[in-house]
Amino acid sequence: MILSELLGRAAYVDSHRVGWVIDVRLRPEGRDPDRPMAVLRVHGLIVSPHSKSSTLGYERSTVRSPGPIAALQRWRHRETFLVPWADVAGIETDRIRLRPDHRRYSPELIISASSPPEAKDFEHR
Amino acid sequence: MKRILGLALGILTAIGGFLDIGDIVTNGVVGSRFGLSLGWVVVLGVIGICIFAHMSGKVAAVSGRATFEIIRERLGPRLAVANLGASFFINLMTVTAEIGGIALALQLASSVTYLAWVPLAALAAWLVVWRVKFDLLENVTGLLGLTLIVFAVALFLLGPNWSELGAQVLQHGALAQEKLSTYLYYAVALFGAAMTPYEVFFFSSGAVEEGWTAKDLGQSRINVLVGFPLGGVLSLAIAGCAAVVLLPEAITVTSLSQVALPVAAAGGKIALAVVIVGFVAATFGATLETTLSGGYTLAQFFGWSWGKFRRPVHAARFHLTMIICLLIGIGVMMTGVDPVQVTEFSVVFSAIALPLTYLPILIVANDPEYMGQHVNGRGLSAVGLVYLVIILIVSLAAIPLMIITGAGQ
Amino acid sequence: MRGSYPPDPGAQHPMLDARLHLLDRQVIDVDGEPVTAVDDVELSGPPDPRHLSPDDPAPAVTGLLSGVTLGTRIFGGRSPRSRLHSIDWRAVSDVGVTIVLHIRAGQLEIGWTERWVRDRIIAKIPGGRHDPE
Repeated sequence: MILSELLGRAAYVDSHRVGWVIDVRLRPEGRDPDRPMAVLRVHGLIVSPHSKSSTLGYERSTVRSPGPIAALQRWRHRETFLVPWADVAGIETDRIRLRPDHRRYSPELIISASSPPEAKDFEHR
Repeated sequence: MKRILGLALGILTAIGGFLDIGDIVTNGVVGSRFGLSLGWVVVLGVIGICIFAHMSGKVAAVSGRATFEIIRERLGPRLAVANLGASFFINLMTVTAEIGGIALALQLASSVTYLAWVPLAALAAWLVVWRVKFDLLENVTGLLGLTLIVFAVALFLLGPNWSELGAQVLQHGALAQEKLSTYLYYAVALFGAAMTPYEVFFFSSGAVEEGWTAKDLGQSRINVLVGFPLGGVLSLAIAGCAAVVLLPEAITVTSLSQVALPVAAAGGKIALAVVIVGFVAATFGATLETTLSGGYTLAQFFGWSWGKFRRPVHAARFHLTMIICLLIGIGVMMTGVDPVQVTEFSVVFSAIALPLTYLPILIVANDPEYMGQHVNGRGLSAVGLVYLVIILIVSLAAIPLMIITGAGQ
Repeated sequence: MRGSYPPDPGAQHPMLDARLHLLDRQVIDVDGEPVTAVDDVELSGPPDPRHLSPDDPAPAVTGLLSGVTLGTRIFGGRSPRSRLHSIDWRAVSDVGVTIVLHIRAGQLEIGWTERWVRDRIIAKIPGGRHDPE
């Protein structure tokens, strides 16, 4: 399965469309000392009732600047929610079916401030 | 000395941006038709490019990411491709015109037809891009381009009526014989010339070429605050010379040699020789800047290896792109098309495409994930937003004005 | 709407969103050389996508994909998987502003265009192999 098969797909409950998948949330699983990077598992789907695509990510972060742009994007993506993967019933060629009793969570993503840019060393010489 | 040379990136970016062949002639045209009454547009444009270049320089220094890499990430796929198409095409047009510009300047010096100079100019530009280190490139071209200061000198020597010039600057409207729509068209053209996207592609990629990090933010700021205003001053000086010598005689500038007339009038043969050196250096600098920008744009969008700090074999597609750009430039120039007209079109088109380049940088400069503690303060954010509105207005007005005025006739 | 859906307790890396953090990001190799931009992401497939069972493990990211996608980006649709080159997820060492690998670009299939242009064209022009001066 590839990501573009999920992004932009309409999300339905029975025959009623609830929105579009604008992103896929991934959670890292543990950390194996032999593997430099954790396995990323699909945690859930981010569904937006009003808009097919997301640019800039304002609806999921606490960044509010620049003011008007952030406000516009948050309005376009109001009521966006996160559906846990367990509540996805099936993936079809033209739609994604959610379970009728699917849970909806806040899409807010806590960005960790654990690696400030100064720590990054983009040695290119 | 190192401090002065450390400003070379800003100066070269400004020269290639404000003082390429199209801008030199446009400034002459504007001066000969409108006097200095469009001076405020130059000031507005200089402030705008200072803000834009400062933000993109900051982003490049703190995160190591040059502008076009960010454009792809931040705009959706369709918008990013649209931006790529427009930016690359405009860049290609400009490279073509600049090669023509070098040839025109050499024609002034030698009386050999400019068509003969075109392949040589392109070859020289390629050799520099292929083999010369980035800092040598920027230092030499930047310093030689500064000889255009002779225009400012000439303006003083001409002993103009300063209060009359001042009155023109404050007169926010066309002079009697020109229409308002033409005035506004040239305002758009001058603004577009000051804020051409390739200046930012070049400046931010140059920041990465020089290896600037968060420690060099002060350096970036000085480069911006010295380079671009200097470019603005030289632009105004060119327009001013034309305003003083040509406007009263109702001579409208149509060629490069006419732009040089006031300087020859003020300082004789020596001044003329200096001007020609300045023209050649500025157009050569502009060629280098736009050729490199073409390579940077494509390579950064697709994620290819790029940079003059790498051996060509380690940035193969980057160098191939630039070779192809120069070859296309030679081909188009040899058909005899007028380089000045080509840049005038490309300047207006870049004003139209500007919002797509400006917006992602404004966003990223405000993103703490990229910038950490160096995010835009509220002041810069606010001014940045004001300019976004200005840029959108200019972008929307460009085509209607171009049609109404028949491209400034 | 409820509050946040919490991740695994004890996870050391924060959660990511695929489009926001992986798609269109620059991939850099262990030497700092750019490799490509991410055009798509490969996920392990559920056994029967049309009928997902809560007992199946959730899909995991298995690779980053890159290829000729300009046409599909402009006009829509999807490139067939066969036209995309893959970078195995196990080659990735960090995800941040860029995606960093712990192997060299030369070891990847994805580098073939760069190698081709290098060997066929750039290396043939005098001075191509030298540092600029």
